[in-house]
Amino acid sequence: MLGFGLAKGLKYTLKNLTKDKPTYDYPKQPIPLPDRFRGIQKFYPEKCIVCNQCANICPTDCIQLTGKKHPDPTKKGKVIDTYDINFEICILCDLCTEVCPTEAIVMTNNFELAEYSRDDLFKNLEWLDENDENVRKVNKA
Amino acid sequence: MLRTEEMLLNVGPQHPSTHGVFRLILKIDGETIKEAKPVIGYLHRGTEKLAENLQYTQIIPYTDRMDYVSAMTNNYVICHAVETMMGIEVPERAEFLRVMAMELGRVSSHLLWWGTFVLDLGATSPLLYAFREREMILNLLNELSGARLTFNYMRVGGVKWDAPEGWVDKVREFIPHMREQIKGYHDLVTGNEIFLNRVKGIGKYTKEDALNYSLSGPNLRCTGVKWDLRKNEPYSIYDRFNFDVPVREEGDVLSRYHVRFAEIEEALKILEQCVEQFPEEGPILAKVPKIIKAPKGEAFVRIESPRGEIGCYIASDGKKEPYRLKFRRPSFYNLQILPKLLEGESISNLIAILGAVDIILGEVDG
Repeated sequence: MLGFGLAKGLKYTLKNLTKDKPTYDYPKQPIPLPDRFRGIQKFYPEKCIVCNQCANICPTDCIQLTGKKHPDPTKKGKVIDTYDINFEICILCDLCTEVCPTEAIVMTNNFELAEYSRDDLFKNLEWLDENDENVRKVNKA
Repeated sequence: MLRTEEMLLNVGPQHPSTHGVFRLILKIDGETIKEAKPVIGYLHRGTEKLAENLQYTQIIPYTDRMDYVSAMTNNYVICHAVETMMGIEVPERAEFLRVMAMELGRVSSHLLWWGTFVLDLGATSPLLYAFREREMILNLLNELSGARLTFNYMRVGGVKWDAPEGWVDKVREFIPHMREQIKGYHDLVTGNEIFLNRVKGIGKYTKEDALNYSLSGPNLRCTGVKWDLRKNEPYSIYDRFNFDVPVREEGDVLSRYHVRFAEIEEALKILEQCVEQFPEEGPILAKVPKIIKAPKGEAFVRIESPRGEIGCYIASDGKKEPYRLKFRRPSFYNLQILPKLLEGESISNLIAILGAVDIILGEVDG
């Protein structure tokens, strides 16, 4: 019968009118995100041992780092000097945090990364060190 | 004096119904399409070439961006290819997590297809209902992998994360909810007379055509060919599950619609069995060397993605990067039949026919 299918569809629509809203009032209300969510990285300079693994595993080569000699001459090894992530090309794949042996680089839940200038997307050691909100609690499986 | 002439009509690349950047050059006579020429490549990123300079683990995030609607199957195909070459046995718990992730992805992919396909035909509200349920799946996958679309979840030899606490129960609760919603979708659209008039009997092709054009997935099964790699060449642990391969005989747009809906229900069946048989504990990653080097030689594997057969060919010379990597991307192959389908059709049917092929441009262009 013509129109029966239309009426059935309308019934479904009417039934859904009384249901709860499935949307979030996003900019006014924060979106709940799971702990594993991958946002921009947080970097702990004191933990870094300059092993270069993060820079090597990065699929887009967006991590640049340099180390310097340990200021305390009695200690071996290097400490981090500069650490830059180019967020124009970072794809947030999480591989850098996966290979880091000391968890010096970890993910946060911060995903609002838009900037007015492309230069602002270049995140250096200070910026990544200060980015300490919503840091992911569990970083290794 | 009356004079008729053929006209060129350009559809896309920025046309909302082409789902990305797909361009069609149409030669039309009045409203009838005389010739259609697809132009692709606007989203070409050279994944295969890039992969030649990347380690196998580094290639996985790139595959996420090919078929970005069901990235889990793409993750799986590259890992499966490398595992086949290296002869790695994947732990059982990891296999279950992989299958669950892939089947959830299949449901979400078909939901997105349904919503946008009906949207293209002029019905706006079904898209919102489809996205409501898709959002639940994305949240589940987000909890599991830490991302909503570009999961980068699977690794050679297993998966990155174990299921978080309570995740399996959430999947268990989701299955009956989804079944209930599918009934609602059928009420909303499937019986609608306007919808049926627009999709019934158009975009028809035969079994022979489908095979000659090497179509796969729902585009093949809508012509009566019962071919599903999960059944015919079981990979992973699909041979343990009991499910059907939905087939239709008509080969028109409506039959593809029905096949996809039936596939959602079969995916839910698999998910249900996965949840029941899910091992209590166990490793999620096999013992793999830190730097993965596929042995010298070549391998080709294929699996069933929501869009068809996705294949991965690796030629390796024993280094940590592949010598050559090739993906058989189902959207690209399925799109081949479009010029044939459009010939002689009216322009108003173009959107329905193109929509029913279900292309993802990231995959078409590679």
